[in-house]
Amino acid sequence: MSKIKVTVNHNRCVGSRLCVGFLPDVFDMNEMGQSTVIKVESASPLELVQTAEQCPQCAIRVEDTETGEVLFPPSELET
Amino acid sequence: METTVLKDDLMTPEVIADPHSYYRQLRETERVHWNEKWKGWVLTGYKECVDVLRDPDHFSSDRMGYLANELSPKEQEEIAPIFKVLKYWMVFRDPPSHTVLRMLLNKLFTPVAIERYRPMVRKIVQKTLDRVIDKGEMEVVRDFAYDIPMAVILELIGAPDLDREKIKEWSEAIGVFFFIKADEPKRREIACEGITALVNYIEPLIAHRREHPGIDLISLLISAEEAGQITYDDVLGTCVLLIFGGHETTMNLIANGAWAFMNNAEQWELLSKNPALIKKAVEELLRYDGSVKTTVRWAKEDVMVADKLIKKGERLLVSLSGANRDPLQFPNPDVLDITRDPNLHVAFAHGIHVCLGASLARMEAEEAFACLTKRISCPKLKEDAYLNYYPSVIHRALKNLPITFQKLN
Repeated sequence: MSKIKVTVNHNRCVGSRLCVGFLPDVFDMNEMGQSTVIKVESASPLELVQTAEQCPQCAIRVEDTETGEVLFPPSELET
Repeated sequence: METTVLKDDLMTPEVIADPHSYYRQLRETERVHWNEKWKGWVLTGYKECVDVLRDPDHFSSDRMGYLANELSPKEQEEIAPIFKVLKYWMVFRDPPSHTVLRMLLNKLFTPVAIERYRPMVRKIVQKTLDRVIDKGEMEVVRDFAYDIPMAVILELIGAPDLDREKIKEWSEAIGVFFFIKADEPKRREIACEGITALVNYIEPLIAHRREHPGIDLISLLISAEEAGQITYDDVLGTCVLLIFGGHETTMNLIANGAWAFMNNAEQWELLSKNPALIKKAVEELLRYDGSVKTTVRWAKEDVMVADKLIKKGERLLVSLSGANRDPLQFPNPDVLDITRDPNLHVAFAHGIHVCLGASLARMEAEEAFACLTKRISCPKLKEDAYLNYYPSVIHRALKNLPITFQKLN
């Protein structure tokens, strides 16, 4: 099974908590009120991408570390 | 400007014309400040604003609930039509009911979902500019900024043929209640009439969609209602919210952005030579002079913000514009710099209530300014014009922006 890495860009996260709402086992809020990844293995790659898509700030990045492929966000959404 | 702060009045003509100087003075003297006239706390520091916005456990958005406490039963009855609809607006609700609606609607407003509408928006922008480009002059608010978001929101709710003039009139009437003209004595009556007319106009549309479902926003709301996730009041309230909120703020963003560029011609030039800067440019326009100056919260219990004790039930005016010019967060905050990065502004607020339509507003503004900087140059205020803003604590809204320009192609 491929290894998935999920990161939250804190220069973009505004603390909407949507990711925590959709995948509470993967994401949690830190003491600054921003999202942080607690357990990436708690969800499938598809669930992770679908949840990353819900972020209004495109702050969540999902990568396949074996292939180096960025599963989210697509390049046109990166500033 | 000393006298402005001494007056401590959010509604003086000087503060309406230039809120940034007023907020700067407050921020430099007292970042969490009790305003006696407004009877609440005014927050102008970035950290303090973000701390409050990211903490819905201590700070409520239940505007209608707190308003009801302040009004007599007779006053409540007078504004019943407003209450009936606005209490179902997501922006005025706390978790858990806020969360259900937000997670449902969010799917339609993600950055990915919004990209689908970019070609449509590009066409609307081109067509709108086509109408005035040969004249070499336009009134930006009426001739350009208004049409774009209105056309888009009507497409999104699946009703492109609704009467835009009527919707504009009713939306303005609703706005009188809490955004514009806070000094209008008959504001409640005016708003009641506006909301009743808009509701009467939308209800048959909802009924029609129930019989003939599509892929539009109203159909999605109806299917959630039929699945028991939300109520009919949620459906109706949300439709009103999206039509009302879906055009005015973006219209103001485009007008304010155009004015910011006109005062910083070198930044306009920079964008016109480097179109790839468009996303960063729009973020900077949002930070520099966004369309929503403030948002309000109520303390759910006694709570400290910085060194001030906020008592249960007291209200806080979170100054988004003030936070966006805080030098502790943004170097040279009063400079418009379209290459600024990072730029974690609070123009769309922060936390669970961060603007649902943020991606849509961003994309519309990107298309608007990409088109303008490509097709016209040297926009200037018309010689005999002077600018006026609507007297509002919340909105940064130009009444008009008459300009001249040169056509490029």
